[in-house]
Amino acid sequence: MQKLGEFKLPQFFNYPPYFTLQPVKETREKQVQLWKELILDYCRTQKIFIIGLEEEFPLFSNPVIERSLSHEGREAFLSALVSEGRAEWMDKGHRKCLILWHRIQDWADIILQYVKDNGLEDSVVTIEEIRSGTESQGTELYGIDRTILNRALKLLEQKGKLVIFKGTSADDEGVKFSV
Amino acid sequence: MRRRPGIGGLQTAAAARDQYRLLGENVAKIRTDLMKEQLDTFRSQLEEFARKHKNDIRKNPAFRSQFHEMCAKVGVDPLASNKGFWAELLGIGDFYYELGVQIVDICLSTRPLNGGLINLQELCSLLRQRRKSDRGAVSEDDCLRAISKLKVLGSGFEVISVGKKKLVRSVPTELNKDHNEILELAQAQGFVTVDEVERRLSWTSGRAIDALDTLLDEGLAMIDDGHRDGRRRYWFPCISPNSSSIGADS
Repeated sequence: MQKLGEFKLPQFFNYPPYFTLQPVKETREKQVQLWKELILDYCRTQKIFIIGLEEEFPLFSNPVIERSLSHEGREAFLSALVSEGRAEWMDKGHRKCLILWHRIQDWADIILQYVKDNGLEDSVVTIEEIRSGTESQGTELYGIDRTILNRALKLLEQKGKLVIFKGTSADDEGVKFSV
Repeated sequence: MRRRPGIGGLQTAAAARDQYRLLGENVAKIRTDLMKEQLDTFRSQLEEFARKHKNDIRKNPAFRSQFHEMCAKVGVDPLASNKGFWAELLGIGDFYYELGVQIVDICLSTRPLNGGLINLQELCSLLRQRRKSDRGAVSEDDCLRAISKLKVLGSGFEVISVGKKKLVRSVPTELNKDHNEILELAQAQGFVTVDEVERRLSWTSGRAIDALDTLLDEGLAMIDDGHRDGRRRYWFPCISPNSSSIGADS
């Protein structure tokens, strides 16, 4: 089986027609389904949060069979993720896509778990600490995309679980939990 | 015998007919008895054989297939019913019913990928994966036998031969001769192009495109526009080893 680093690629990745958008509805649905799963799986294991449609991305071409996805193909598969709430376009021109292998709600739950595990129920931490502090090492929060983190924190703020306060720069933005 | 006139003659003739009839019945009875006896002997021998080689029949696919062949030759179908001697002795009915259910399952789960047409070899290897190591090996012959039993359900399960390969069809799609020829042509590389079909089969382009479009619509073919020669290729998941085993794991 072909591999990308440690990532095991599914068999369809080696089958050329999967790199061409299929015209027949049922076949296309299955094709889109397989690609969606692959993209989410890959991003989750590789901790990738943003896919640029015009940039190199390992899944978008397979040198072994000399095939690569057309722009339409990339957009179609990502749009399918967007319509399911597993991704969001970051610009109107659909050039960058934020991949949500956890939905924002799930990220919020992960943050709450992190708070509980580390006894931070009434404490103040900086946002940067959540992303790269020693407590978050080995958890899914480590290295999380800033945009996603902010969105999850905002959601928790709306629920009254914490208060975000702005610092003078992005580095010292912080939150006070009140779980 | 010289024909004699009068009632006496007629009576003699009638008596002779009776005699013949009696004799005939006797002979027939003796023959039937003999046949019955032979059949009984045969049946007990077959049972004896099956009992003796029970384990081989269960575990060894080659042996099983030969056993079936032998039974077929003498007109015994061990799968005809799940009741009675054969089933009790060998549990062989259950084996094939179970196989049948698993085959239906695999055909359904891979249908979105291959349009309901699957290579027999691939079906077998998926079947083996699913059954893991338990309860001995499964041969292609076993698959065919189980599929033939599925026919009574009228669900359109059928084995078709295309070129050297056997394909199992689980959708009621009618494949005509043109489609079969394309599938046969595709076995060399897994795909065909319109050009190739026209050239190799000496068809008009309309005929080739028409047949390929039908195969596309049925979900049996997939297009590939990515090759650098720019020619559209039509791939057939049912004959490419690469494709349809994906669905089974997910």
